[in-house]
Parts: sequence; C-alpha cells; structure tokens
Amino acid sequence: MVDLEQYLPILIFLLIAGGLSAAFVFLPMGVARLTGTHNPSAEKLSEYECGFPAFEDPRSQFDVRFYLIAILFIIFDLEAAFLFPWAVSLDLTGWPGWITMMVFLFELAVGLAYAWKKGALEWE
Amino acid sequence: MDFVASLGLILPELILSLTGLVLLLVAAWAGDKASSAISVAGCVALGACFFLVARTVCAGASGPDTVAFFGQFRADAFAGFAKLMIYAASGAALVVAPAFFGRTGQMKAEYPVLILFATVGMSLMVSAGDLLTLYIGLEMNSLSAYVLAAFLRNDSRSSEAGLKYFVLGALASGILLFGMSLTYGFTGTTSFEGIRAAVGDGLNGGTLFGLVFVFAGLAFKISAVPFHMWTPDVYEGAPTPVTAFFASAPKVAAVALATRVAIEAFGSQADAWRQVVIFAALASIVVGALGAIGQSNIKRLLAYSSINNVGFILIGLACATPKGVSALLVYLAIYVAMTVGSFVAVLMMRAEDGTPIEGIADLAGLSRTRPALAWCLAMLMFSLAGIPPLFGFWGKFVVFQAAVQANLVALAAIGIAASVIGAFYYIKIVKIMFFDEPADTIRGKSDWAHWALLAISAIVVSPLGYLLTAWLGKLADGAAAALFLLA
Repeated sequence: MVDLEQYLPILIFLLIAGGLSAAFVFLPMGVARLTGTHNPSAEKLSEYECGFPAFEDPRSQFDVRFYLIAILFIIFDLEAAFLFPWAVSLDLTGWPGWITMMVFLFELAVGLAYAWKKGALEWE
Repeated sequence: MDFVASLGLILPELILSLTGLVLLLVAAWAGDKASSAISVAGCVALGACFFLVARTVCAGASGPDTVAFFGQFRADAFAGFAKLMIYAASGAALVVAPAFFGRTGQMKAEYPVLILFATVGMSLMVSAGDLLTLYIGLEMNSLSAYVLAAFLRNDSRSSEAGLKYFVLGALASGILLFGMSLTYGFTGTTSFEGIRAAVGDGLNGGTLFGLVFVFAGLAFKISAVPFHMWTPDVYEGAPTPVTAFFASAPKVAAVALATRVAIEAFGSQADAWRQVVIFAALASIVVGALGAIGQSNIKRLLAYSSINNVGFILIGLACATPKGVSALLVYLAIYVAMTVGSFVAVLMMRAEDGTPIEGIADLAGLSRTRPALAWCLAMLMFSLAGIPPLFGFWGKFVVFQAAVQANLVALAAIGIAASVIGAFYYIKIVKIMFFDEPADTIRGKSDWAHWALLAISAIVVSPLGYLLTAWLGKLADGAAAALFLLA
C-alpha cells in the first residue's frame, strides 16, 4: 500500500501552480462576464455625465507629475508610520535603536536630496 | 556578539550601500556625463568587496563567529561563495553597459547606482539568517531590478518587460510573504534556527503549507517551471546588459537563498521539500529545452536556456547533502561564466551603424564574416550543452555525481536523458553560424571591454577551465560545510 500522504507537498505545489495559471486565464473571462455589458444597447452604452452629453473623453491622460508627488508622499508617510512605534519604544531599544533610526532618516534624506536636485519637487 | 563585531561582518554590504548613496548624490549633481566615472567607482567598490569576501571564503569561515546581529545575518563561507559570483556578475553588468546605452545617448548615471543597490540586496539575500532579512534583501534586489528592466524609457518593449516583471514579481513576493506568515504562525519564530528547532519532530499542516508557499515564491525568483512564464518576455524586452545581469547575479542569489532556506530552516524535513524541488528540476529541464527549440530571438533562447540550467542546479539541491550543495555551487560558478559570456556575445551582435541585432537568423555564416566571435560563441554553446572537453560538462558531471551518491539515481538518469534535448538547440546555433550562407548583417565594431569579457569567459569554459576544478571544488566544499555546520 503506497502511503499517498507523503506526496502532500508536491500536491500543494502543483495546486498553487495550476491555480495561479487557471486564475490568470479564467478570472478575466469570469470578471468580464459578470461585470461586462451583457446585453448592450445604445442607451446603455452612452456616457452619462450629470445629464449632459459628455464634454470630452473621460480617459484623458494626466500628468506623470501626480505620480511623482504621490510616490514621494507615500515614502514620507511611511517614514512617519515608522517613527511613531520607534518613539514610544525608545526606552527599550536604547542607543542602537536611536542610531538605526538616524541611519534610516539619513538614507531618506539622501533620497529626498536626489529627488529635489532632479526637479521632482518642482511643478513647472 | 556585540555591535562592533556585527558591523565588521557586514563590511562589504556597508561599503556597497555607502558607495551607492554617495554615487546617487553624484549622479544627481554631476548628471549623466559623469556616468562613466560612476561606473568606474562602482566597479572599484565591487572589487574591494570581492577581495574582502574572498578572504572569508578561502578561510572557509563558519560557526558562531560568522553570525551577526543575533542570527539575522550570516557571513559564512557559503554566503561568501555566492557573493563572489554576485559581485563578479554585477561588475560585468557595469562594464558592458556604457557601449550599449552610450550609442543612443541613453547611458544614465543611475544605471550603476541601481546595480549597486541591487547588489546590496542580493548580498543580504544570500546572508539571510531570518525570514525578514531574506524578504528585505529580496525586495531591495527586486525593486532595483524592476527599474533596470524598464531602463530604456522610450522603448515600448523595455517598458513592457519592466511592467511584467513588476506585476509577476509582486505576485511572487505576495506568495512568499503568505508562506512566511504561515511558517511564522505555526512555528512562532522567523529565524531559521528557530524554525529548524520547531519542525525537528515533523511538519504539521500549517508549516507544510508555509514551506510549500515559500518554495513557490522562491521558484518564481529563480524562474523554475512551473513559475517561469515571465522569464522569456522579461529577458527579451529588457536592455541586453540588464538581461545579462538578470540571468547571472539575481539567479545566483535566489538559488543560494533557496538552498539556505531548504537546508538551514527545513533541513530536517528534506523529504517534504525534496519532491517539490525534484518536480521543479525535471520540469525546468524539459520545458527549458523544449521551449527554446522554436525561438527565433537569441535573447528568448538564452532565457529558456537559463530555465533549463536552473533545472540542473536544482538537482544539486534535491540531494540535500553537503556534496549536493557543493555541486550546486560549482555548477552556479560555471553557469555564471557561460551566461555572462553568451550575453556579451549577444551584445556584440551589431549592425554596421551599431544597432543591436537579436535574430538567430542573423548569425548565419558568422564563422566566415566574424570568425573570432563565432568561435567564442560556438564554444559557449557547446559548453552550455555540456559537451565533454568544455567546462560546462564538469558542472553537469558533479551535479549528477552528487545525485547518484544521494541515491537519486532515477533523477540523475532522467536529467541526463533530458539534457540531450537541450543539446539540440545549442548545436543548432553552431550549425547556423558555421554551415549556413552568410547573412552578413553583423558588421558593427565592439569595444575592448566586450572582447575582454568574452575572452575571459571563453577561457574559463575552455578545457583550460579544468585547471580550476580542484580549487573550485575545495572552496565549494568549504562553503557547503559551513552551511551544514550551522544547520
């Protein structure tokens, strides 16, 4: 009698692989089926903008500068998120904790200096 | 272990990150015209670290003296051996880049800085002694790699490669993190030593799931089948120096990382992960070989070739013995030499005006138009196929020998049989270069750096490489012993 239980790891591995590939193929189809225009008509397909006909194409490109600001915001937002737990536990971490955070802040400062010099902070 | 000793052990990483930070500021203030100076400085830093690490590898460093920061970091001979390959491959990626990007004026000063940061990440990966160090190293490498893949911003293929790499890399990181959180949840620790102690008397269901998810995430990073789908597209789209980098350094780092997780954290449960590794190894060998046959782009072909090679490397891991890990390291070292050489040869395929050429059909008759290039490429192809007088054969030989000694005779036999399929497409390239009518499109000149790197890798893979076997084997044995000592 072969003990099939010993082959559980490879079964899980194959399930992950198969599941992922199946998800890549069938998930978009399923999502499109459930959310797409199943029974399109001219009325359904027309755009709606507060009762007016649409003024312009809603898929307008917008400036890459917004992304830059957003990315910089996230970095410094996360920095603040790190600073809070660091500040309240400083009595436990002591000097090593303080130095580590200063190294972290220094690295962020270098990054900020780079972004500043490259003009990422200038709107025009 | 005090902090001074710990800081001494991470000296190479400190040098690399400080150099990276300084060069980042230089890049911002001096601009792109300083890019060659920055590349030189990066090479110098990598060289310094190479010699620093070479000392620990030659001494076969192991044991508690190599553990830094309370077990988070291991500067043992195993990590050192991998770092030597990583630093060498990163240096090669710096050396080949200026000629490629410079032609169209796209050599940015950030390129060497990104390579340096990726190298710091890879250094951390191979030295990780804790799941969190592992993850930080992996992400540090990956984030730089995503940017590098999309480095030619005006080229749609390069942007596509970057986006694809990012999406699938993020997915892989997610799978890895999921596995890590399961492992942490069921063992109560993130350190490899703690996990080893916790799984000593068998895996429970949750840890088993964690283990398999961690291996699935790592399989993405080493592009082992069935998680290889991104490799051909990313390798084709990324700029060729970046592809050369991807195929060498990060692959070494990810393989070394997977080995460390397997042996150090889950070494007592080798039967559980061995079947996953064996499946990935055989599938990679077969899919890598079959996928390469229909390719008409040389970069895609080399991508499949790297998938194929990962399969052979994983056979060494499947042994789960010191001999197997030593064979894996020897194979990796030879693989890096062959891969860097092949991609340098691809970089040297240029039209009269210097535009890069990537079609396999353009290689036709190269032996008559560019004999030196054709002979070097032929040697690299024969070596990748594992034809005996060349050094590639030695890598396959030690791996299969280790597999036979570990009682995995069936695995070794299937691997040897499947390596014949791979020989077909390698030798097809040689046939196209030597027996087809010349296409005569490859006429561009190459600079001395490319010729030098091609010559070095051709000498390493030539039968002269066998002079290295005793020395390489000794270093690899020392490295493997260090891994098993800690485990």
